[in-house]
Amino acid sequence: MDEDERSKVRRRTFLKGAAGALSVAAAGCVDRDSGAVAHAEAAHETAYNNCWICRASCGQEVTLEDGTAVDLTGVEGHPKASAGPGAEGTLCSKGLAQLDKTYNPNRITRPYIREDGELRSAEWDEAIAYAAERLESFREEHGPEKLLRYQGYPIGGEFHDLLFRDLYGAPIQVGRKTTCHGPFSDSWEWMAGYGREWPDWRNSEYMIAWGRNPMECFRGQWEPKGIMETIEENDATLVCIDPRYTKTAEVADRWIPIEPRTDGALALAMGHVIIEEGLHDEEFIEEWTYGFDAYREAVADKTPEWAAGITDVDAETIREVAIGFAEAAPRAVAFPFTGLSFQGNGFKNCQNVHALNGLVGNIDRKGGTRHWRAGFSLADPFEERGIDVPANHEGRPTPDYDDYPYQRHIRDLSHNAVPTAVERGDIRGFVNNWSAPLKSGNSEAWADALEAMDLVITVDAFWSGVSRRADVVFPGASTLEQPFLATGGDSAYSESGWVTASDALIEPVGDCRTDYEIYSALATELGWGEYFPWEDAVEFYDEQLSGIGRSFEDIAERSYEIVADVKYEQWREHGFDTETGKFQFDLDVVDGYAALAEETDVSTAPEWHPPDDDLYGETTDEEYPLLLTDGFVQQLSRGHCQALDDAREEYLDRFGFRYEGYDGNLLHINPSDADPRGIETGDRVRVESPDGHVELVAHVYEGVRPGWLFAVSGFGAYSLAPDEAGANMMTMNTERHVEPVSGQVDRNLPVEVSRVGGETA
Amino acid sequence: MSQWGFYFDPDKCIGCHACSQACTVRNDIDEGDVTWRRVEHVGEGTFPDYEEISISMGCYHCAEPECRDVCPTHALEKRAEDGIVTIEQDRCIGCNYCSYACPYGAIQFGEDGLAQKCHGCLGSGAGDGHGSPPREESETARETPACVDNCVTGALDSGPINELLRGASTAAAEEFRSDDSGPAVVLEPATGTEGVSGDDG
Repeated sequence: MDEDERSKVRRRTFLKGAAGALSVAAAGCVDRDSGAVAHAEAAHETAYNNCWICRASCGQEVTLEDGTAVDLTGVEGHPKASAGPGAEGTLCSKGLAQLDKTYNPNRITRPYIREDGELRSAEWDEAIAYAAERLESFREEHGPEKLLRYQGYPIGGEFHDLLFRDLYGAPIQVGRKTTCHGPFSDSWEWMAGYGREWPDWRNSEYMIAWGRNPMECFRGQWEPKGIMETIEENDATLVCIDPRYTKTAEVADRWIPIEPRTDGALALAMGHVIIEEGLHDEEFIEEWTYGFDAYREAVADKTPEWAAGITDVDAETIREVAIGFAEAAPRAVAFPFTGLSFQGNGFKNCQNVHALNGLVGNIDRKGGTRHWRAGFSLADPFEERGIDVPANHEGRPTPDYDDYPYQRHIRDLSHNAVPTAVERGDIRGFVNNWSAPLKSGNSEAWADALEAMDLVITVDAFWSGVSRRADVVFPGASTLEQPFLATGGDSAYSESGWVTASDALIEPVGDCRTDYEIYSALATELGWGEYFPWEDAVEFYDEQLSGIGRSFEDIAERSYEIVADVKYEQWREHGFDTETGKFQFDLDVVDGYAALAEETDVSTAPEWHPPDDDLYGETTDEEYPLLLTDGFVQQLSRGHCQALDDAREEYLDRFGFRYEGYDGNLLHINPSDADPRGIETGDRVRVESPDGHVELVAHVYEGVRPGWLFAVSGFGAYSLAPDEAGANMMTMNTERHVEPVSGQVDRNLPVEVSRVGGETA
Repeated sequence: MSQWGFYFDPDKCIGCHACSQACTVRNDIDEGDVTWRRVEHVGEGTFPDYEEISISMGCYHCAEPECRDVCPTHALEKRAEDGIVTIEQDRCIGCNYCSYACPYGAIQFGEDGLAQKCHGCLGSGAGDGHGSPPREESETARETPACVDNCVTGALDSGPINELLRGASTAAAEEFRSDDSGPAVVLEPATGTEGVSGDDG
């Protein structure tokens, strides 16, 4: 596709071009000379849908004009898209950009199969038959255990698992715990028995966003809304701990641009202060925690002065934040996320932060962290129909990687271990659903691994390093084009569980198909049609919802429903779901972790683990003096936004690059690092690590910590950004860049930067 | 005439670009370089005493619009019924005088060379809003413009200026009244971040 063709095609232009596909009878609006009159004539209607751009499932109200989606906004009162009952619903900028995904001219809209080494478009019947035949021969040759499952943004994820795990028998997947949140969720699961606690922002009075940017990256609009509301109405305090001046820093009372990867030291010192001041929750600790003596001992000598020398946060600030946090407790929360989970020493840093929440007793309490639950169960449609689903994945041989410490206790394969598994012959094929592993870890090794595999099948919307290497590409439908159902969970309704649903609002673009259609067709071809007896996903969801006395149509018509009450302090009734039934400061009772701790000679209690060039991440040196981390901004999600003109333009506009003729990501660098290197904003720069190099454009400003660089992830080589513009930092990531407890990819890389000449445009 | 206008509180703005993106989507603005609403991020200070403020900007539908005054073909009109400034594109000759005169960069030019800008979502398409009925009576105008509809934190509002003033702080209301011949926007004063911290003890 040449540059002209790649240029933007707006929805109404698209509609004009899609001859015969859709009714355009009243769409005089394509002609701007017709002006407003034509709009009055067009048939407008609104209907509900769910946003899936970042998987938050915010309820969205869609305006349809003659069968085409032309406008979006949030649903009032929606648990994810609003601040709660009666509150206006909104969508974020990336959610609003999603029509550009559905109607994108670069979207994959036909199935493709590999023939004589080349991908070619195919009819559905042919592509399904081809994929089934390849899967059958793969099973005969290698066994189903050598097919790796990987899912990113599946709408019909349960159908993917049903087909490939339960029926085909592929036991191993790469989950989000090794590409996103392992150090955070593993530590919290072992400590509190709940892997992904999330704040009860709306009721909090002291919020520490710790390596976490809830104004830009969130699990729904309820997060930034709840934070801003409690700041305004409860005079709540927001503290942002981040080496980058994010939009969370902008609205925070205090920005603490900590020395990267020293968060665990700061947390220990805060614990020291809280105990010294007698501000810990003695009753909670006595009755509901385990291992407090070990924790008290761990922080006994961790004074704010000690931490100040490590963290570059002055001792008085540490005292003030610790006291402010503890005095507000239990309506207080210290909450880390990818800022910490992307660190090579992230597990211990997260454990130390979470210990603070136990120390002040804010677990599953109003305004603290929350053990979110739906509080109800949907019916099992298989049970309803008397279908006994086999578990063909169970008992299959899986690789035993004793040479990788984390592989002994994590459920599946670490993302960065996959290329070695391919090399060893333990993985020979790959089924993927809307995921982008080539921007999630050791990309170069992964690209080679995909080439080496005997079979790669993907469901996706855009051409990327994965889909280009696939043997079969199925064009998946977006949420606008297929039914959707979700329950939860974290939302603006602190004490309620909810369900949200929506039906397809538009015909699938081109030859795209729903997840259910794809997986059921493939299952039927493979002889498992009996396990997909539903006419479509609506019928399946309808049977699920019968468990709570609702129909799919009921919920889809109103977008959401609040279904159940979920009380605070659920541990009072059931205890914590841990080995001791209590919140565990000390993890000596978690066998897998205790064995690893003994072997690596570390404490099972909170402890400070600096980056050490051995286990806990690489340090900078004279040759590579700067530390680089990649991450996210509001305008782009982890998913497909890099392919969307609108989303990319808003991101570049934020940093003054909208009109610079550059479509890639930016390297944010402090003037004190840029000036000695002769780097100015707009310069093309080369980033070099011991393992490779990339080139992108510099943005010099004071909003990043000296000695530290930040770039938005998801651009460059193997990405679905047009022309692969920009840089994929993960091409410099290798197998050894892994947090040793969880197997999570370590995204902190020592690098050097130099100007390569030439301007942006 | 009841002047219709905008309200903006920079302390509530989280700089997310939902307003600018919502504007682009609802009005189907089809050229990448054209934006009827934009978000500016202004940084000040040296690390770690660095601060940013986010400002959402568009046409302010001024009481005495300079764009209208300089237009040689009278393509720009300040509507009597609601004070919204619209462009009659059939009269526009693309001379750019209006964009030179506008202090806020609100007027843009597409590939057709004709002026376009915010019309307060009088319609929901790419039209210029000229000739639309008053907001209160219009069937095509939304209750609120797209930018306000999708403002995540309530930093942006719109409506009759008198109503906006009633909901504004005293400082914002006084500031507006001292300059009520200018832009139809009620601006809350920015207070910024306090207690920026680092190793400065």
